[in-house]
Amino acid sequence: MYRLFLAARYLLSRPINLLGIGGVTLGVWALIVVVSIFSGFLRVVGEHVRSASADVSVWFLPDSARFHDLQTAIDEVPNVAACSPRLVHFGLLNRPGETPPPPPLLGRGAMQGGDTPFVSVLGVDPDLDRKTTALDAWLVAVATELRVKDLQKPLARIDGLPAILLGEERMARSGLRIGDKLALSTGRVERGEGGGRSLVQVTGEAIGGNRQDAPVFVVAGAFHTRHTGYDGNTAFVHIEDLRAMLSLPPDAVQEISVKVEDPADTEATADRVQRAVRRELGFERGQFQRAPLAYSWHERHRGFLEGVEWQRALMKIILIVIMVVAAVLMYATLSMMVAEKTSDIGILCALGGSPRGVMTVFLSCGLSITAIGIVLGTVIGCLSAIYLEEFRQFVLWLAGVDLFPVKVYNLDRVPHELDPLWILQVAGVALLVGAIVSALPAFRAARHDPLVSLRGS
Amino acid sequence: MNAPALSAHDVKKSYWLGKREIPILKGVNLAVERGEMVALLGASGAGKSTLLHLLGLLDTPTSGEIRFDGQPVHNFKVGARAKLRHQFVGFVFQFYHLIPELTAIQNVLLAAMMQKSVCQYWKERRTTRAAAEQILDEVGLSQRLSHRPAELSGGERQRVAIARALLQNPRVVLADEPTGNLDSETADDVMQMLFRINRERQLAFLLVTHNEDLARKCHRVVRLRDGMVVG
Ligand SMILES: Nc1ncnc2c1ncn2[C@@H]1O[C@H](COP(=O)(O)OP(=O)(O)OP(=O)(O)O)[C@@H](O)[C@H]1O
Ligand SMILES: [Mg+2]
Repeated sequence: MYRLFLAARYLLSRPINLLGIGGVTLGVWALIVVVSIFSGFLRVVGEHVRSASADVSVWFLPDSARFHDLQTAIDEVPNVAACSPRLVHFGLLNRPGETPPPPPLLGRGAMQGGDTPFVSVLGVDPDLDRKTTALDAWLVAVATELRVKDLQKPLARIDGLPAILLGEERMARSGLRIGDKLALSTGRVERGEGGGRSLVQVTGEAIGGNRQDAPVFVVAGAFHTRHTGYDGNTAFVHIEDLRAMLSLPPDAVQEISVKVEDPADTEATADRVQRAVRRELGFERGQFQRAPLAYSWHERHRGFLEGVEWQRALMKIILIVIMVVAAVLMYATLSMMVAEKTSDIGILCALGGSPRGVMTVFLSCGLSITAIGIVLGTVIGCLSAIYLEEFRQFVLWLAGVDLFPVKVYNLDRVPHELDPLWILQVAGVALLVGAIVSALPAFRAARHDPLVSLRGS
Repeated sequence: MNAPALSAHDVKKSYWLGKREIPILKGVNLAVERGEMVALLGASGAGKSTLLHLLGLLDTPTSGEIRFDGQPVHNFKVGARAKLRHQFVGFVFQFYHLIPELTAIQNVLLAAMMQKSVCQYWKERRTTRAAAEQILDEVGLSQRLSHRPAELSGGERQRVAIARALLQNPRVVLADEPTGNLDSETADDVMQMLFRINRERQLAFLLVTHNEDLARKCHRVVRLRDGMVVG
């Protein structure tokens, strides 16, 4: 009984113990909140990336690839639900008659979306693409005045001119409206007789324009995928228009999007699709420069997602430092207390205590400090992770300072994801550290000779 | 049962300074009967405190026997010694040794907590508290229950320490210069009180002192000289 009683009295009568509690609380809090933000960010960004990608994409198809042959082969692969063809091109978009602006500086703009006039132009077949991607959802996720007129045929020709779809923000920023005309300045590689290659300017001749000028498209509407970097740098046109413009043979394909039935089996399905494609193309006979590859969406964005994960791991290590500081703080205050209280050890033994019992007094002091700190840190950590967005709004309102620029990452609020396992790990480590740190001074107290304090004044 | 409450038989104690043996007690024989008040005199450094610690099982003799009620107890294990100390012996020291964080009554109650579990103590908390209040009243401190040691005079502190020693109804009180730190008037008061307690409770007292006058008032005086008890 005396152990608990004394431990409580010692704790309560020494405000300096608040320092130890505060240190543990701070450490636990920081480890929970920061990791929660990173995990939430990782999840949300993963979702964003995912929303703009097909489950599996087949890349590096040779010029000889034809979609319908490959479609038959891919559809036979287990777990494949559908596949759709794509042509992937690029170009500068500008209003007809205007000279295109200078190309952007490298590394600027792309992630912010739409700063650069240089875009990927994807040729898709909407009827097939809506089965493999969330195309329909992208088309309705925009402001009403930017929505395509006919959702069933979003890329149907308008007044005899080919249609183009742009990212919503890009459209809004450049003040474009439905019906506006855009010229696409681009070139294509042409193989000469002797096998030499040359870049030739693409004109609009094949798609209803004249043979001098760049092809002209009519803006049919906007799309929105939540993956800002993708929206700002991508434009959709009809695959037939792009084929004609680039003088490609009918049914030519450069990339294939695949939808799977069971998302849990995506990676294995990608492998199977890759094998099926290679077999169909006769890749084993080895006449290609590049091997066709099938990637899952995760694989495709692996570098980016792993980057965020790596940052989270780094953050954990940095935050451990706070724990170390808390431990040192606790050790210092507990040592001070034991040094001050050795004079009590003698009388406690004289009253019928033992050195081991006295040790538990100091041990329970330290463990109480740790436990209180862990509980406080966990509760405050969880609450502040969940309500960080409200807190951000409050600071924004109060001081005009934005603590976390959510718009940059196209988030609607500060993300959070509380992982119970991680919270348990943090609490466990904190408890372990607290136990070690309180055990050291407690052992010193137990080794203290009670007679020394009884003799001295 | 006529065995003395507390007795020492040929108790020797040496300290070691490196390899050199320093004998302090060289064969002490001493018995304190029930209800007897014995004064222990001796020069400074004679080993009085050392003997008291041995008798109170705070320390182990190099050789010899300590008996409580005729039972040898000197070679009990640590836990059993602590328990015996708790039940059998009350200590009073020159420097009070109160715990500064606790009030007077809490310091006294601490003596009751030492060997009890939380449940046990909780069940008995009312009677224990009443007993503590009564003992503090007995030593004249009924108005000082919730004062901390720092708010008490030297004499009052020593009274709290005495109350603490008495709470568990020990058989023997070992007092090491209990008035050594008090002015003569306060010392007289405290001594009067100890004599009264000795009479009323029939408690055995072993009282270490330097004061010959005070020693003469006890039932018996023994002297520690050259590591032996004489007189
Ligand atoms: N731990 C120890 N190691 C070595 N010598 C010790 C130790 N403790 C006490 N002594 C020595 O034992 C002797 C007796 O000490 P003790 O405290 O018993 O004397 P005392 O009779 O109580 O003296 P005083 O009247 O001054 O209180 C002293 O000479 C002291 O130096
Ligand atoms: Mg002494």
